[in-house]
Amino acid sequence: MFASTSLTISSVAFRNCRTLVLVRYAQTAAAPAPEPKIKKFQIYRWDPDTSGDKPRMQTYEVNLNTCGPMVLDALIKIKNEMDPTLTFRRSCREGICGSCAMNINGGNTLACLNKIDTNTSKVTKIYPLPHMYVVKDLVPDMSNFYAQYKSIEPYLKKKDESKQGKEQYLQTIEDREKLDGLYECILCACCSTSCPSYWWNGDKYLGPAVLMQAYRWMIDSRDDFTEERLSKLQDPFSLYRCHTIMNCTKTCPKGLNPGKAIAEIKKMMASYKEKRSSAV
Amino acid sequence: MAALVRLSSVCHRGVSPLLFRSSSLIRPLAIQKKDHDCLYLISAKIHATPSNYASSGSKAASLHWTGERILSIALLGMVPAAYYIPGPAVDYSLAAALTLHGHWGLGQVLTDYVHGDFKIKMANAGLFVLSTVTFAGLCYFNYHDVGICKAVALLWSK
Repeated sequence: MFASTSLTISSVAFRNCRTLVLVRYAQTAAAPAPEPKIKKFQIYRWDPDTSGDKPRMQTYEVNLNTCGPMVLDALIKIKNEMDPTLTFRRSCREGICGSCAMNINGGNTLACLNKIDTNTSKVTKIYPLPHMYVVKDLVPDMSNFYAQYKSIEPYLKKKDESKQGKEQYLQTIEDREKLDGLYECILCACCSTSCPSYWWNGDKYLGPAVLMQAYRWMIDSRDDFTEERLSKLQDPFSLYRCHTIMNCTKTCPKGLNPGKAIAEIKKMMASYKEKRSSAV
Repeated sequence: MAALVRLSSVCHRGVSPLLFRSSSLIRPLAIQKKDHDCLYLISAKIHATPSNYASSGSKAASLHWTGERILSIALLGMVPAAYYIPGPAVDYSLAAALTLHGHWGLGQVLTDYVHGDFKIKMANAGLFVLSTVTFAGLCYFNYHDVGICKAVALLWSK
């Protein structure tokens, strides 16, 4: 910025900058080399391409002084510097994409939002999401989860489509506020895969993540298919396998409450009127 | 998700995609990888069936849930009733409510853990027999003996 206005100012600034750099350099040089903080990571490994390979735990030692603060940083460091065959999903590294969901020290969470436990006497154990089919190492097969999400039709549905594309469907501020705590879900599947009911009946029970999104669309003031959405859950499995265990809410890395959303669905299920279409 | 879509598009294009007209151009690694992806997708499809029980039109499932809640609340009311106004009326309603409560509760457990058409039918039949015997036993006890209220009260009497 200074350089564009005046040459003298810029040279002064440059010299200041250089002294600053020198001072900082001297400071770092004076500091003694820090003790390496070696943290052990035990990571689930399984490679389907090696025939006869059995799942095993592999231990990696990471110096925390040269590693970022999060578990994902450690995983990336291991993959870059120690073992390029280690396989895991990651993308945004800031808790918005949901790719790096895995089981760390017994809890489902996002590796990018989970701080490494700096207690080096303890081993950090990392597994793929529990009770999922494993594709490789920490990568679970999410097809069933996505198919279930698709089955609840997670998009706005209107009875009268003649106004489609003409103008925005507006909402009151109050109606919009109802969606807070629901729309933030990133579908990382941490909650669903922490749910024992989903472990035993994952093929037929939709699971907390998908049910919370079902609820999100049920209570959207702009959606016309609330009753139909509710009646789609009228079977013993889709919704009623939830026994309020609340692992979902406990584990959610985004701090959402799928357990409450499911409870709200159950309340709506008990009280909704027969299909509006028959009345119209 | 995007990766899945891309994988499936690769698979749908099959063995003669535009890029790989001549099979001699395909690198062995690419073949292997493609085959593997397809296998993976097929295996994924097998367990990717979402439940299609739905849209039966009946409200049986939610009515069952409502019934369970009502029964639980009624049971909560029956405990003080048994204490303050013990008698045959409370005895028999307790017998019925406790049996039904247990029947529904165990039914949930069976639905959770017993898989397979035949097995679940057998389990439910067994549960039905158990509940019937329980109810009959409680009624017999109410009729020929002191009754549930008195029996519980006797636990404290000595």
